[in-house]
Amino acid sequence: MMRDDRVRRLPMALSALVALAFAVIPLPTAIDAFRPDFLVLVVFYWSIESPRAGGLFLAFAAGLALDVIRGVVLGQHALALTLMAAWATHLRLRLRVFSVLSQSLTIFALLTGYQFILFWVDGATGNPVTTFSRWLAPIIGGLIWPLLAGGLSRLHER
Amino acid sequence: MVAFRNTDPSGRTTGLLLRCVLYCLLALGLIVADKRYDHLGQIRRFLSIVAYPVQVAVASPFAGWDWFRESVTTRDALRADKAQLEAELRLANFRLQRYEALEAESQRLRALRDNTAGIANRFVIGNIMNLDIDAFRERVVVDKGARDGVYVGQAVLDAGGIFGQVARVGELTSEVILVSDAAHAIPVQVNRNGLRTIAVGTGDMAKLKLPYLSTSADVVAGDLLVTSGLGGGFPAGYPVGTVAVVRRDPAQSLADVDVRPAAALDRAREVMFVWISEGAKPAVAAAPAAGSPAAGSPAAGSPAAPKSASPGPAAAAAAKRGAGAGAPRP
Repeated sequence: MMRDDRVRRLPMALSALVALAFAVIPLPTAIDAFRPDFLVLVVFYWSIESPRAGGLFLAFAAGLALDVIRGVVLGQHALALTLMAAWATHLRLRLRVFSVLSQSLTIFALLTGYQFILFWVDGATGNPVTTFSRWLAPIIGGLIWPLLAGGLSRLHER
Repeated sequence: MVAFRNTDPSGRTTGLLLRCVLYCLLALGLIVADKRYDHLGQIRRFLSIVAYPVQVAVASPFAGWDWFRESVTTRDALRADKAQLEAELRLANFRLQRYEALEAESQRLRALRDNTAGIANRFVIGNIMNLDIDAFRERVVVDKGARDGVYVGQAVLDAGGIFGQVARVGELTSEVILVSDAAHAIPVQVNRNGLRTIAVGTGDMAKLKLPYLSTSADVVAGDLLVTSGLGGGFPAGYPVGTVAVVRRDPAQSLADVDVRPAAALDRAREVMFVWISEGAKPAVAAAPAAGSPAAGSPAAGSPAAPKSASPGPAAAAAAKRGAGAGAPRP
């Protein structure tokens, strides 16, 4: 089991790094609000696929990276991502046997929870972002989840 | 269909709850430490160095494309550019001819009133990195950081006027909050009549607002707004924007004023970090605060120390108090 875990760490780190780059790549302003949280989806994927290899540390580190690169209060994304990744890990056995639609809906719920924690910390630290469009990201994320999960599983099964 | 390999048949993740609680406590601790006590500056600066390669990796293809486009420009285009730049330079030089004399005169007059507002005396040019750090906040990353002496609260200009101020400093990069950010406010003055007020951002790069002007205030479309220098964060006299629309509803006590920013917030590639000359007292200290009991001591009389000029509600509040103390109520 240990060796299997170690083998997974490379694709795990690589996919997380690529997703982190996607989080800040410039997009036209018109579609900027539609940008899905790729890094969050990747963390969810690994939390479901092999929780023992990366697990919560991956979630915490990815969240901290998001905090630094986004320039928000340290720990905000880390908190949200850790909580939701733990939930995803908790649900993983059920998620694996779900149909695509159910998986997407569950991921949508997780992303909404993630966004809600961000929203809450934003408000608690005194710089709230109240635009409605911040709730678009979970919808987009739920929609692209099958593609992303399919791609990632193909990637590391080779 | 997404097929997960069932590699973990036991289905057990030992101590998931415990680890989750630990990580969450750690994250909450970080939030509190970062927000409440300013202890994480060093850690953040170190982390920003770690993030730098990612930022460069994302920004460099765009920079490379720009470089490529520039290097394949035709000779004719370059000549046209050169002619245009020369014309602009000539015009700027004509305007500058009397600048030295006017500057000296302005200093003398201000000295008479013991009101030497901050004068910008050093500039460093930074390039905006092609990153999109937050879809809902107007912020950019610039490739100058603590190593170049950039500090939090520093004023940032572009060729058109005030661009924003430094929100966070890393070792190699810094984060600039634009004047149009919804959490940003800047003390301004109507250039025509000296009316002082606050311009706040709206989250829309093409619009600022003046929310604290009464319906009877003397402001009309086309008025130029310049920085007033109150609060000490920005050098005085730089253009912030022009008034675009003034809507006066007799039923309301406050006018609804839209301002078009002077800086090219959405197009600028290069910005200037400005250092304000030392020894310049905050202008508020000398404002005619006749009724105020604290008028005797300048330190108590100036409500906004330059160091406290962090963007966000705190700066807005400080600037508001600053204007309240100094401005003639319209």
